[in-house]
Amino acid sequence: MALIELKDINKTYQGAQPLHVLKGINLEIGRGEFVSIMGASGSGKSTLLNILGILDNYDTGEYILDGKLIKDLSEKQAADYRNRMIGFIFQSFNLIGFKTAVENVELPLYYQGVNRRKRHAMAMEYLDRLGLAQWASHYPNEMSGGQKQRVAIARALITSPRIILADEPTGALDSKTSVEVMNLLTKLNREDGMTIIVVTHESGVANEADKIIHISDGIIGKVEENVKHDNWNSALIK
Amino acid sequence: MRDLFGEIYNSIRNNKLRTALTGFAVSWGIFLLICLLGTGNGITNSLLSNSGQFVQNSIQVYGGRTSMPANGYREGRWIQLDNGDVRLTKDYSDKVEKVATVTNGTMGTIVMGDKTVSAYMMGVTAEYSEIQKVSLKEGRFINPLDEKDAAKVAVLSTTHLKDLGDDVIGRWITIAGVVFRVVGVYHGDENDFQSNLYIPYSTYKGIFDPSDKISSIIMTFRGVNNIEESDEFEGGYSRSLKTRHQADPDDPSAIWIWNRFSQNVQMTQAQNILRIALWIIGILTLISGIVGVSNIMLITVKERTHEFGIRKAIGACPGSILSLIIAESVTITALFGYIGMFLGMIACGVLDKTAGANAVDIGFTQIRMLENPTVGLDTALAATLLLVVAGTIAGLAPARKAAKVKPIEALRAE
Repeated sequence: MALIELKDINKTYQGAQPLHVLKGINLEIGRGEFVSIMGASGSGKSTLLNILGILDNYDTGEYILDGKLIKDLSEKQAADYRNRMIGFIFQSFNLIGFKTAVENVELPLYYQGVNRRKRHAMAMEYLDRLGLAQWASHYPNEMSGGQKQRVAIARALITSPRIILADEPTGALDSKTSVEVMNLLTKLNREDGMTIIVVTHESGVANEADKIIHISDGIIGKVEENVKHDNWNSALIK
Repeated sequence: MRDLFGEIYNSIRNNKLRTALTGFAVSWGIFLLICLLGTGNGITNSLLSNSGQFVQNSIQVYGGRTSMPANGYREGRWIQLDNGDVRLTKDYSDKVEKVATVTNGTMGTIVMGDKTVSAYMMGVTAEYSEIQKVSLKEGRFINPLDEKDAAKVAVLSTTHLKDLGDDVIGRWITIAGVVFRVVGVYHGDENDFQSNLYIPYSTYKGIFDPSDKISSIIMTFRGVNNIEESDEFEGGYSRSLKTRHQADPDDPSAIWIWNRFSQNVQMTQAQNILRIALWIIGILTLISGIVGVSNIMLITVKERTHEFGIRKAIGACPGSILSLIIAESVTITALFGYIGMFLGMIACGVLDKTAGANAVDIGFTQIRMLENPTVGLDTALAATLLLVVAGTIAGLAPARKAAKVKPIEALRAE
């Protein structure tokens, strides 16, 4: 069974002129896959990601995450799913400015009710893995973009989620740092088997994934298996 | 719990100006309220203590000057009270309880050994201390036996002791060449310019002034329950005195009557009005504090929407957002509320030491404008608690809204 199953998902933004942004999306993503969703702005890719991340509701269809139907959840249930199953990485990092790096990383565990000492130790461990141990007590505004994004990645990983959802993770970074961040995500996927979904409009970023899903005007178009990676993978298998 | 306080500390440290503004609104509101109530209490206490010198159902009567012609006399005639008026008073009605006769003497010098002090000598009958509430420090007041025997005994004021020394009871003093024995000392008012020295009425008349004239009559009465009955009693009594002195019974100035009962009723009403007015102003002050708190909570919530979005994305449920906002607001308002309360109480203390110590001369005596202008700790705590609770309730609506907003909308907010 796939980790993520979307069946005929529709989403319309109500307003003066209703906007039908997702038109019958069908999609399956398996465990350990590294998928990128590509499309122009306004294509519906961010809406899709928000639905996948349970940040937003959909109108009709079915979204099954790890065997559970994600529909009509209470706020509390949704919060719990987001906390335990999903790790978010945002374009603008979304770190809390008045908290230090380690406090930001700890926060998801705080909402799980993990005690202070354990949570701090775990957060330090994750920061260390991402090479940020010495930045633990710094505030976000004292860090570079790459460092901030790595703090955000540590925060996304700390609850050992089923999937990592990254919304334009390199959008605010320079090209060198972008490569570093994408390498990090690739490594997480290859070494830890983490399922990763990246939304982007940059083909360079999209090409890091195993599978590229093109979306335009709310409809999934071409789905490409990434040849480069296939070769790389098969080389690895041999 | 510790985590929650950590969050609050973080947020306060990060929003110093906003915290300071909220804090100021709360502190200032409580501070004003405490000062206001303290001053009100001070005025009330001062009224009470100034009237506390007298029995409240008492009347003091002085002779006046006629303003109407009557019985062949012109207006402008001085009326002099005499012993006949005392007899009239005693027989006037069964409502009359105790009657005391007072003669105001003259300034004299008390000599005790080589020490001297000046005093204002008054001859009074034994009932005087029961009507005028003379508070004795030691010894006794003039009694009926002194009165009967025209004993040469005197009661001094504590203010005289400064010059005469503490050891006066049983000692002999000389007044205008006549030797008296000191039998008592009463608590005199430090603010009085000149303190009275009391000797028996009969002694005074026998030695210093053999005439029939007296200065005033004081009496207590019973069976008077309201201001109408009091006015009726006073009116009838005043008319019979005026008639006896050949004055027009309706002459308003022939006899001066100081009716403490009606004065007391009026004062009680004034106190109630004062108290109500102060509470209204106080509550309005509190309301402005509450509006301040809720307004700032509104801004807080708006400013932090994006942060709440982040928290929700990583697993915060609406309840935890709500409790974060409430806990923060309660902490800030309570902390600053107590600071305001503390400062208010200090201000009341300062007021007590400065304005409270000043006395105002109202002619025959001096009164303190403010006496003990403080607020009970219970009232202060209740007011602070009210502000905290009301401020929180007022802020609850925006907090709930913030807690309910969809995470994606919150994340989009900047």
